[in-house]
Amino acid sequence: MKALVSLRFILGFAAACIAGYALYASLHWPFKTALFPRVIGFPLLLLALIEMALSIWGVEKEREGHAVDFELTTAVEPALAQKRTLLICTWIIGFLALIIAFGFPLAVPIFVFAYLRIAGREPLTLSFVLTLVSWIFMEGVFDRFLHIPFPEGWILGLWR
Amino acid sequence: MLDTFIQGLFVVLEWQTFLVMLVGIFLGFWVGLLPGLGGTTTLALMLPFIYKMTPVEAFAFLLGMHSVVSTTGDITSVLFGIPGEGTTAATILDGHAMAKKGEAGRALGAALMSSLIGALIGAFALALSIPIVRPLVLTFGAPELFMLAVVGIAFISSLSGEGGRALLRGVLAGLLGLLFALVGQDPQAGVQRFTFGQLYLWGGLDLVPVLVGLFAIPEIVDLAVRGTSIAGELPPENLGKGVWVGVKDTFVHLGLTVRCSLVGTFIGIMPGLGGGVAQWIAYGHAVQSARDSEERTGFGKGDVRGVLGPGAANNSKEGGSLIPTIAFGVPGSSSMAILLGAFFLQGISPGPDMLDKHLVLTFSMVWTMVVANIITVAVSLLFLNYLAKLTLIRGSVLIPFILFFSFIGAYTSNNHLGDLAVLLAFGFFGYLMIRCGWPRAPLVLGFVLGRIAENNFYISTIRYGSAWVGRPLVLVLIALTVIVLFFPLIRSKWQESTKGETQ
Repeated sequence: MKALVSLRFILGFAAACIAGYALYASLHWPFKTALFPRVIGFPLLLLALIEMALSIWGVEKEREGHAVDFELTTAVEPALAQKRTLLICTWIIGFLALIIAFGFPLAVPIFVFAYLRIAGREPLTLSFVLTLVSWIFMEGVFDRFLHIPFPEGWILGLWR
Repeated sequence: MLDTFIQGLFVVLEWQTFLVMLVGIFLGFWVGLLPGLGGTTTLALMLPFIYKMTPVEAFAFLLGMHSVVSTTGDITSVLFGIPGEGTTAATILDGHAMAKKGEAGRALGAALMSSLIGALIGAFALALSIPIVRPLVLTFGAPELFMLAVVGIAFISSLSGEGGRALLRGVLAGLLGLLFALVGQDPQAGVQRFTFGQLYLWGGLDLVPVLVGLFAIPEIVDLAVRGTSIAGELPPENLGKGVWVGVKDTFVHLGLTVRCSLVGTFIGIMPGLGGGVAQWIAYGHAVQSARDSEERTGFGKGDVRGVLGPGAANNSKEGGSLIPTIAFGVPGSSSMAILLGAFFLQGISPGPDMLDKHLVLTFSMVWTMVVANIITVAVSLLFLNYLAKLTLIRGSVLIPFILFFSFIGAYTSNNHLGDLAVLLAFGFFGYLMIRCGWPRAPLVLGFVLGRIAENNFYISTIRYGSAWVGRPLVLVLIALTVIVLFFPLIRSKWQESTKGETQ
């Protein structure tokens, strides 16, 4: 609970920083450019500071402040949930790294296969079939049919 | 007007349009069924695909998909007790209770038929409102349009949670959304704002990577954390039995179904409300319809009326929520905010033109909703037994594909790797928001309305000075903003005090 409170403080602090920066940046702009950011920035800064203060000193009832939104599961033990969250975040960032390194057309099948085999522990045949499906989608639909220009991967660029 | 209305149907039935609508229906069908995939997320994912379509095809595709999501979402809610969509949660109370009693087929039949009736009423409310809304729209100037944006954000902020803290967070999220929309070149003076010297940011943050990040990444993280299939480990049972009894129930309680459809339509019209609210009010009305307290105790234990009410309302609100989106450019929900993005991608400005120059397009949207729902309900009734099995696909198989489509969807908005950075930044920001109980809907609404609000605010200030605040309609809208912001707070305090007194 304490960790969650501090996370709430951090989010409030981030909002205050964004508002503060917006107000500071608007000092260097002409009036008509700065008008709306100031109109938004001042209440945002004030409310973010209130949220920060409440995160430190306010006592929140169990359901109070609860957003009407999608809720993260509570059925998994917190330590395991944290481990799995870090793991999936690593996979997501890894996918971005693969795209930068190899380019989309290669990164997609590599990622799909690696995820299915390593994270999903799926059988080899199923992994191959699904990787093929992803490659067909990537090459067939996005590259050949829609002609989306994909940048060359960084590593492949070094090669040439 | 009648000719244009009929022309709208013919436009939808042209083979190219009909084909892309079928593709949309097909996607919406599965999206509604899978709890891990939201209709709003998919709408955002599909935005890049409309670039090369005509406006009629684009909206047939997007609305065909979106208008059936709640219909099939009810199926998962009934079968597994988990909402297929956020808008189908109320169906669980009695629908899943019926499934546990071995009446899953009856509950599904009732949910599907009430959904169809709701969708038809919502669509025709949209069509009928056009002559009424048309003169109203023309009386709205820049100050009123700015205030409408404020009302929309206030609405969605005040209803995005419980208690005063939720109101604070809702407004914070809305203001952050407005601020994020200001990234890029200022339209008035051409000055760069918050671009940090990056050429990519000159054009501002693109809607697609922001939305895909906010909605898809947290759901992917949650699916990975759960480590199961998206429906968990629940086996599908008693799928097809009694479907036609449920269909008949809809007509036995036709008055209730129609009333709940009207409730849904009305809530859909109100900016900032939507299916999440409509379903519960409709459920409340269904409970209210019980003749005595003994009959009322049956609700929550498997009363078919508890399925009919939310089933009808969560579909009829789609037609309702299109009314402010089309007529005023004020989206009533996150999904309508994304649809508003689709208007801009197609080079169309929502507002008076939609009720005059683009009237055929507007009516084609009405017909898309009607035709899409008829097709979906017909197919669902035929294949109910097989549909539910998809929710048992392992998360580990789905995750790489959802990520693949999220990344490619974000990338195709500008064909720039910067889109992927925006996707991840907003993805993790969205996750943090959920962890901390901040609602995402006001942020999305603020982001979509940011530029519109700034332009109208600037025009109002330059044209009228501070005098625009005194315009009669602006005063009404200011009063409305104050009411919508503080009414839920006052009401909850009042309810708490009456509860305290009775105890």
